[in-house]
Amino acid sequence: MKRRALGAFGVFMAGAMLLAGCGKSSSTSSNSGAKDAKKFPEQTAMTTAKSGGSITVAEETDTPFTGIFNDELAESQTDSDVAQFGDEALFGTDDQYKINNSGSATFKLNRKAKTVTIEVKKGVKWSDGKQVTAKDVEYAYEIIANKDSQSTRYTSSLADIVGLAAYHSGKAKTISGIDMPDGANGRKVVIHFNTMKPGMTQSGNGFFWEYAAPYHYLKDVPFSKLKSSDKIRKNPLYYGPFKVSKVVRGQSVTWVRNPYYWRGTPKLKKITISVVSPNTASQSIKSKKFDVINVVNSQWKEVKGTKGYNFVAKVPLSYDYMAYKVGKWDKKSGSVKMNKNSKMGNRYLRQAMAYAMNIDEVEKHYTQGLSFRVKTLIPEQFGDFNNSKLAGFPENLKKANALLDKAGYKKKKGETYRRDPNGKKLTIHLAAMSGSPNQEAIIQNYIQQWKKVGLHVTLTTGRLIEFNSWVDKIENDDPSVDVFMGAWSLSSEPSQDDMYGAKAPFNFSRFATAENTKLLKEMNSEKSFNHAYRVKKFHEWQAYMQKEAYVVPMYNRYSITAVNSKLVNYSLKPSQSGLVWYKTGFKK
Amino acid sequence: MWKTILKRVLIMIPQLILLSMIVFILAKMMPGDPFTGLINPNSSQATINHLKHVYGLDDPVPVQYLRWVKNLLHGDFGQSYIQHVSVSSLIADRAQNTFWLSLLSTLLLYGIAIPMGIAAGKHEGEWQDRAISIFNYVTYAIPGFVFYLLGLWLFGFTLGWFPISGTVSANASGFWGVFWSRLDHMILPAILYAIIATTGTVQYLRTGIIDNKVEDYVKTARSKGVPEKVVFNKHILRNSFLPIAAFLGNTITGLLGGSMIIETVFSFPGMGKLFLDSIAQRDYTTLTALIMIYGTLTLLGNLLSDIIMSLVDPRIRVK
Repeated sequence: MKRRALGAFGVFMAGAMLLAGCGKSSSTSSNSGAKDAKKFPEQTAMTTAKSGGSITVAEETDTPFTGIFNDELAESQTDSDVAQFGDEALFGTDDQYKINNSGSATFKLNRKAKTVTIEVKKGVKWSDGKQVTAKDVEYAYEIIANKDSQSTRYTSSLADIVGLAAYHSGKAKTISGIDMPDGANGRKVVIHFNTMKPGMTQSGNGFFWEYAAPYHYLKDVPFSKLKSSDKIRKNPLYYGPFKVSKVVRGQSVTWVRNPYYWRGTPKLKKITISVVSPNTASQSIKSKKFDVINVVNSQWKEVKGTKGYNFVAKVPLSYDYMAYKVGKWDKKSGSVKMNKNSKMGNRYLRQAMAYAMNIDEVEKHYTQGLSFRVKTLIPEQFGDFNNSKLAGFPENLKKANALLDKAGYKKKKGETYRRDPNGKKLTIHLAAMSGSPNQEAIIQNYIQQWKKVGLHVTLTTGRLIEFNSWVDKIENDDPSVDVFMGAWSLSSEPSQDDMYGAKAPFNFSRFATAENTKLLKEMNSEKSFNHAYRVKKFHEWQAYMQKEAYVVPMYNRYSITAVNSKLVNYSLKPSQSGLVWYKTGFKK
Repeated sequence: MWKTILKRVLIMIPQLILLSMIVFILAKMMPGDPFTGLINPNSSQATINHLKHVYGLDDPVPVQYLRWVKNLLHGDFGQSYIQHVSVSSLIADRAQNTFWLSLLSTLLLYGIAIPMGIAAGKHEGEWQDRAISIFNYVTYAIPGFVFYLLGLWLFGFTLGWFPISGTVSANASGFWGVFWSRLDHMILPAILYAIIATTGTVQYLRTGIIDNKVEDYVKTARSKGVPEKVVFNKHILRNSFLPIAAFLGNTITGLLGGSMIIETVFSFPGMGKLFLDSIAQRDYTTLTALIMIYGTLTLLGNLLSDIIMSLVDPRIRVK
């Protein structure tokens, strides 16, 4: 067996291609994908479903899931995926992620008193029949902030809750800023903040936590043992529509109805979610192994039109970007030190590189239209926060050339490449991650595009970079990186401080300008509680980022789910996220 | 002989110490750390720094190494950074899966390869031999993962005879229910492995039989009038098993090693898959523990092989 060990690393990619090659491939022109994608509904038929039936759901991952069934401690997307049937957030939202009172708790914001009041609805019960209490809401903060629990959820945003930092450092035994006016067994919690932020009305804002943890069940487990305790790994408690009946570590979770579910009896009787390799996803769909399964976009051609499934899709909150290194992280002051004279410090150069890229063409050619160019750093899913007037950087070689000429990047006679304004040779180093099988071809295509406008771009290290090394280089401002391509998944609150603020370590471009700081501040100022004002500031910031082009938004992609066509009420809409497994069921 | 074994075991100690140093240093040299994947704007750098501190990842490498060795001597492999359970329980879990799969594969392998080897050797040059040779060429030429994927596609997806991934079905309950479900999940990978891995065993056995057929002691036995059946079973076959016995020690300890390819293709959570994942996720504790285990197993396997050889072949005596 050992002899073949080296080949294992090739398996992931080769496997995907091989299995895909086994099926019948339907011939399609490259444009039809895009049209199909726009036709995707966000949900299956919404109608009355019959009670009963069980389904299997696929979780596509190459690694067994960790299985930490607790929102405060879980770290991976796969863990929240396998927990989705029982794990319900406190708040419901509308389709733009604005918190409303449709969830298991109500929410009231008081700007004057600087408080948020959360009241758990009566009858919202854990799957052992106990009411969800104020203490359960408060206990979640204890888990997050207690150093022994080793939660990764403790952030500077959360630390703005009065007394949370003191509790985190161990100076205080309790969190002074979280009140329970009706006592620990009541249902009301009042959270006091140092400052109120306009983003607080959006779900995912990070200023307060949106889940509760079963204190009565977990209280005997010391914080340091929580992550590995059976009460979280094997027999967790949730108050959502389903409860865990069995966990096969890393492989599958079986869920059955929670008899105490506050909304009523869920339609389905049993749900099993099990792990399947993304490489075999298309085959799993074609042989109907699962009732709900995500489509791997590169396999779309193989599975589209498969009978017995409805395909629904959403555009996830994320984008791929290209960004320029224009400074360094200063560890001492914990802030960005921008260097105006850096290689990529010239705005025209940055814009020109962006205009030279043929993103539209690439997406059409390689992704069957399932990916598309995004125009600003605030994607359309954020509704009116998105500045729809901006065009982003559509391919325009003429403009790119003109910009470079204007900025003084000129060729010497007989040379292919431009020199910098000082007449020195210019080579730009691009750090791009390895990933999909097409990645190499796509990057080489961009390098050719840049050559067309006379820019000499080469790959840092000479090839695509593995994820861990990439992060290492970008985080530590490796001098061999001038430009880099990466991706962000976004929180459902559109504030940008954590990613592009002057004090944000994740501001990988390391740009910090007075204008940017001012705009970011205004977006979260007192005035911004006025929605129209906040929207205006968001639009201004997007226009500013388009002009400066420190970060160039590249593309985003549809995320498609195949759903057994007999299932109704399945929805990907944000407003349905707490309801979907309560309502989904078989057609009558 | 006991003296020799003791000596060999003692030599293993410096070997393992050296291995542990190399492993630890190489693991630390990989770019990134277990928290690299946690990077997103929602988790603060301070938190990640705190976690690194808690796990002692910010200490100098020699300090980390000594701490690791100290724990190791207490039988503590540490906590997995990714799975958040103790590494020993994680490995025990996976080793079990791997052990049963490997055992079934190995039994099937010998079940297929030994009759084939005997048939090929006995009927040297005849059609049986040629058919087996062709089979060997074909299975040897096909890369494992292609064969496994084809098998998975055909028997798992298209025909639907076998489960496609995992070690046990979520719906299995009761002792026998779980038992059959586990067996059901292992059959396809085990058979596929057994079919494709026969080449070595078949060839050793075949060559052994052909060589032994013309040995002097065989001629002597025949001339004494020993029946042909006894000549073959006692004189030829027994000696032909020697090369296979030579690897038996490693085969036995290898039952715990697992196959990265098969486990990856069948999403079978075993040791091989754990090894790959712990590299990709920089799960240092798991990774170093696994390599130490592999190293120990290999050394033990060699020792075991030597002992077995000395037992079955009186000509070889361990000095």
